[in-house]
Amino acid sequence: MTRRILAGAGVFAAAGVALGFLVLPIVAIFSRVSPGTLVGQLSRPVVTDALVLSLKTSAIAQALVLLLGTPAAYLLATRRFRGRSFAVVLVELPLVLPPAVAGIGLIATFGRLGLLGGTLDALGVRLGLTQAAVVIAVAYVSSPLYVRQAIAAFEAVDPDLVAASRTLGAGRTRTFFRVVLPLARRGLAAGEALSFARGLGEFGATIMFAGNLPGVTQTLPVAIYSAFDVPPDGFTTALAMSALLVVVSGALLVTLRLTLQWQPSRPTSRFLFAPSR
Amino acid sequence: MRRRALAVGLAAAVASACALAAVALAGTAQTKATRLTVFAAASLTNVFPKIDAHARYSFGGSNMLAAQIQQGLPADVFASANTKLPAQLHRAGLVTTPYVFTSNRLVIVVARGNPLHITGVRDLERSGLKIVMAAAGVPVGDYTRTVLAKLGLSDLVGKAVSQETDVREVLAKVTLGEADAGFVYATDAKTVAGKVSVLRLPPSSQPRVQYAAAAVKSSEHLGAAKAWVKRLRGAAAQRKLRAAGFLPIPH
Repeated sequence: MTRRILAGAGVFAAAGVALGFLVLPIVAIFSRVSPGTLVGQLSRPVVTDALVLSLKTSAIAQALVLLLGTPAAYLLATRRFRGRSFAVVLVELPLVLPPAVAGIGLIATFGRLGLLGGTLDALGVRLGLTQAAVVIAVAYVSSPLYVRQAIAAFEAVDPDLVAASRTLGAGRTRTFFRVVLPLARRGLAAGEALSFARGLGEFGATIMFAGNLPGVTQTLPVAIYSAFDVPPDGFTTALAMSALLVVVSGALLVTLRLTLQWQPSRPTSRFLFAPSR
Repeated sequence: MRRRALAVGLAAAVASACALAAVALAGTAQTKATRLTVFAAASLTNVFPKIDAHARYSFGGSNMLAAQIQQGLPADVFASANTKLPAQLHRAGLVTTPYVFTSNRLVIVVARGNPLHITGVRDLERSGLKIVMAAAGVPVGDYTRTVLAKLGLSDLVGKAVSQETDVREVLAKVTLGEADAGFVYATDAKTVAGKVSVLRLPPSSQPRVQYAAAAVKSSEHLGAAKAWVKRLRGAAAQRKLRAAGFLPIPH
């Protein structure tokens, strides 16, 4: 009996410590200075510049992720070929890579002395320390989250529905846009929300490959890093920007949960096509 | 069955967490044997371990290190690439009286062999060049601005493609070929000799680059920390500094 009570108390204590550990840093960001000061800091040019830049580069990066990631995910989800699992692992690898590794990898690839550097140089393109480099860094670290989720979403689409659509005379393209995409849309939206949130927070690869120039390559996370040691009130500015990112990321997470929980009214036609199993 | 697997998994997780904690505790116990933690300017990265291989180092922009000390990170010694930051911390009662222990010069680094034929600092005004420097507030960034102001070239600050957070970041951007030219200390250029070409600045424009060190008052080993700072001015440390290209203590 006492053993059970002790075990129960132990579990609660462990849960309390874990929750406190995860929540306290967030609480600290908001409690260190008054909300009025935080909001006041947000109108500083260094903050607004960084916010606009973060949103702009994220928007471009996510457009690229959707445009290139969706066909890639569809292919990986629907085709069975040798080395498919290996390809999926490769797609997921950047997810677990430390951002510094991503930064080094991008420099070694797109840098002036990198793998593609000579080719790019011949074309008159220098990516390092430009806004394009920010977009590349953000797309690199965030796209695997989308593609991974998109593969799962496409795999969950009932192949019989696709077959039915084809039998009824719809072409591949029409089937994709009218049947597959609507059925997978919630998974795709969830993946995109995660990808967007991750991209917004990208720091390591950006500061290594794109540098740190206010208004050009200084995203919010990079601005936080640059501001926190600037006297007299850089730390407060850094706190304000951190609070802003907490709010935005939190909103994205809530949106994500709502998207996943929301049950659309199921089209009755689905059951017409469902085979008796 | 599944429950059992869960329990086993949980037990394994708890056990590994305990093991990690034990290792971490053992680690701190070991460092208690007066192993000093030295926060030092990035430009001292190569030379400080040669002066004392035993200390633990955190290298970075001096301004970042000063901010960390202000926020209460446990350092024993602070060695800055200027005299301003240690003096500020001293006035705030955080460190002991700072001592200047060496000095340095500012140079321009360009790609090896200078393929763009940059002839000097005035040539940096040429359009299309990618120039990097450290941000204002970082000692080397402030020195860079002083030099450019003296030469009437302050508009170059606005042309920089990146404002880095420490001198080694500036150096890396040039050695990697991402930038065409950068402002660093002569000693940093020396660490990558053969990988970059060095352009001197007009002697009249050279700022007074002086390094000052102080013991952090909240240190648990304040005596040892003070001795460490004093040792930097001793003959052995000065020889190592000179060998790395640093200049004598100015009078």
